[in-house]
Amino acid sequence: MRHICKTFNPGTVSEVPLFRDFNLTLRRGSFAAVVGSNGSGKTTILNILCGSVTPDSGEAAVAGQEIVGMPEYRISRFVGRVFQDPAAGTCPALTVLENLSLADNKGKRFGLSGGVSRKRTDFYRSQLELLKLGLEDKLDLPVASLSGGQRQALALLICVMTPIKLLILDEHTAALDPKSSETVMELTDRIVREKRLTVLMVTHNLKYAVGYGDRLLMMHRGRIVLDAEGEAKRALGIRSLTEKFDEISLEAGNSV
Amino acid sequence: MDIFLGLANNVLTEGLIYAVMAIGVYVTYSVLNFPDLSVDGTFPLGACVTGALILRGANPLAACLVSFLCGAAAGCATGLLHVRLHITDLLSGILVMTGLWSVNLAVTGGTAVLAYFKDPTIFNSGFGAALATAAGDWGPALLALLCCAAVKLAVDLYLRTKSGLLLRAAGDNPQYVVSLGKNPGNMKILGLMIGNGCTALAGSVLSQQSGSANIYSGTGMVVMALASVIIGTSLFGRLKALRATSAVVLGTIVYKACLVAAMQLGLPTNYLKLLMAVLFTVALVLRQAAPSGRGKKHVDPTKI
Amino acid sequence: MKNILKKMLAVGMAASVIATAGACSSSSKSTGSASATGSSSPVSSASAADTAGASSAGKKATVGVIQYATHPSLDNCYAGLKEGLKEAGFEEGSNLTIDFQNAQADNSNSDLMAKNMVSKKCDMIVAIATPAAMSAFSAARNADIPVVFTAVSDPVSAQLVSSLEKPGNNCTGSSDVLPLDAQVKMIRAFLPKAKKLGVLYTTSEPNSVSQLKTLKEIAPKYDFEVVDVGITNSSEVASGAASLVAKGVDCVNNFTDNNVVNSLPVLLQETGKAKIPVFGSEVEQVKNGCLASQSIDYVALGKETGKMAAKILKGEAKASETPVYVVSEGKPVYNKSVLGAFGLTLPSDYAGAEAVEASK
Repeated sequence: MRHICKTFNPGTVSEVPLFRDFNLTLRRGSFAAVVGSNGSGKTTILNILCGSVTPDSGEAAVAGQEIVGMPEYRISRFVGRVFQDPAAGTCPALTVLENLSLADNKGKRFGLSGGVSRKRTDFYRSQLELLKLGLEDKLDLPVASLSGGQRQALALLICVMTPIKLLILDEHTAALDPKSSETVMELTDRIVREKRLTVLMVTHNLKYAVGYGDRLLMMHRGRIVLDAEGEAKRALGIRSLTEKFDEISLEAGNSV
Repeated sequence: MDIFLGLANNVLTEGLIYAVMAIGVYVTYSVLNFPDLSVDGTFPLGACVTGALILRGANPLAACLVSFLCGAAAGCATGLLHVRLHITDLLSGILVMTGLWSVNLAVTGGTAVLAYFKDPTIFNSGFGAALATAAGDWGPALLALLCCAAVKLAVDLYLRTKSGLLLRAAGDNPQYVVSLGKNPGNMKILGLMIGNGCTALAGSVLSQQSGSANIYSGTGMVVMALASVIIGTSLFGRLKALRATSAVVLGTIVYKACLVAAMQLGLPTNYLKLLMAVLFTVALVLRQAAPSGRGKKHVDPTKI
Repeated sequence: MKNILKKMLAVGMAASVIATAGACSSSSKSTGSASATGSSSPVSSASAADTAGASSAGKKATVGVIQYATHPSLDNCYAGLKEGLKEAGFEEGSNLTIDFQNAQADNSNSDLMAKNMVSKKCDMIVAIATPAAMSAFSAARNADIPVVFTAVSDPVSAQLVSSLEKPGNNCTGSSDVLPLDAQVKMIRAFLPKAKKLGVLYTTSEPNSVSQLKTLKEIAPKYDFEVVDVGITNSSEVASGAASLVAKGVDCVNNFTDNNVVNSLPVLLQETGKAKIPVFGSEVEQVKNGCLASQSIDYVALGKETGKMAAKILKGEAKASETPVYVVSEGKPVYNKSVLGAFGLTLPSDYAGAEAVEASK
């Protein structure tokens, strides 16, 4: 069984020295939630793992594959990412069917064969039914006409349609209204469980951080200040988490 | 009536030839979202390469093909400037257009005009000649129609393939292409190659139709092509029955028709450009008034 | 609301197309002729058609004229053309309708205009300047319409005619070759001590390139050294002129280079600052500030062309057999005020030169 290590010691120096000898290892199949104040570095971790930011030094690996220095699009073949902005994860001008056809082809050659395969339409339909959002009837509609929640759900589906080693959720419910947020979060949980994915989720929503996943990380100014796994995590209540969060937020507020 | 038919013949012939270029600009501007100004240089490139080749005895069809490839190379240059050197899209096009001026002069051997009235072209030899004898005055228009239809069908088919779909995605949301594991920069280069190839082909066909190649023939082409694309998609894009490429072809013909009508109605030539600007503006306004409301309307090229 | 706008536009376009049909199915119209001032009058189709129909003098001819650009020499050609036609019996308004089009230096306009004239079955197309001639030739070669050109320096290399003596195609006309030898001789007479003769030209204009070559062969005869600066378009005239000045030329000579002639004021400004006289290639340039010129009389050239055209119209001659009329003699003209400004005197050999004054 492969043991997924994501070890990285980046000593990133931006205007503010963010990471000095930062280490994080995530076990395969683990669903980790990351919370933290602004500027704590949680988004930077995601960026490093996706390849859009390169650390000054140190290594990072996903499933044993070194990713530092690899171009972003190549990393995307085995690392999926759902963005905060619902518009970023799909192509608004293309139809749902076209988006899914493209996603289906991820990792394979985009040659001169037919773009949209009618044969796979049934498969797409079944996948969309899992989302329980009624999207299976909207295959030929352009994605621009879907709501934010529907788009994020679609983006999620697109990410996981092909096998990936790591799923990154970048505050993916932050831009949605509360009802859609709930729906998408439940969906996320269901999909992650079914496909047994390894997930790293960044969120501002402490309720979700506590309620979902088997590991909780709280970050502050480039360091992990809280790391609760399994039992310890379940024992955490929202209140204690909020207190701890206030502590560090105040600190950040004061120091700024 | 005779004269009207004659004028219509002119409009159709020229409109259909320029439509080939408009289709190319449609691919770069509408699908790929890349305003490519190098068209002013690629159009005469096709003409000059054709002139140079035909004067050396080349087969006119081969000249067309080589022109397309040269245009594709120019598009590749623009793409590389943009993707690898991170120069903005506008400037990349301008740089290539400027550079092509010298390339065109080199191709013609330093003169501004290459005349080859007596040499075989696609219009007066082979199939083209047969068409001319069969259809008389309408021969060239028919041949232009065939060329345009061929290019249009090829582009339509391409946009329905996986690669074409990816191209559309690259123009719509490059981040999506990245998340698919592909480099959007490469798709941009490919799209530019197709677009400029079509433009050079249009230059080649037009030059063969008039029997001479002129390095100044590219001036104002980008405006004409963009106007055709926008007029076409504004006026005809809403019709569900029409693919976007067809709309663009019709747009070019409408543009030319307005030009000829204005000339015939006695509009002083000085004001022609003003007329075209007015028409262009009207088309843009109509487009923005579209019910879908998006600033830049993406017309689905595969819709039947 | 917007849909209504769209419909109105569609209707408007349809209306213009129908109007075109109506206008064209009556006789060919005469559009207002653009003179040197560049203005044009609106179309007057009905009146010209009516008077033409009422006249009985000879056969009524329709001649399409394409002038490539607004340019003093070309404007003079057109004026001369009309005079020549008139002298030969074709008067505009009575038995002649002229469809005059100015291509505004745009090749696609020129092509389209030529094709339209062919579609309207004009009896003849007259083209002023090489690009217009090529458009006309290309459009008319499959129709039975003769093409007469004027102000084309090298019709053979433009493939308009097989040879100057026997054109061979249904195309002939008149050609202007600059009298460079006489020009340099005149410059030497005006400036006995000058050494360097500067030339500004467009590298892609074949006329200019061949004229430069000829000039370089002639210059040593008169003890001149030619200094040339090539430009690629009209925006480079200023820097090209400055470059010539920096190279220390004593005087500048113009060819019939479109870019240079169109931007003459710019050139004159640069050279004027350095007190360097400019010799023009044609009388209009001298009027506009050049010192002197062995000027080809473009009006006379146009007139000869008009007479040639008239003969072909009457059927007395065929274009394919009419040799190209080549003009290579100029008459000296000079600008009195410019002469005074440079503190020069008129050389005795040229005492008979015509003094011209600035226009406007």
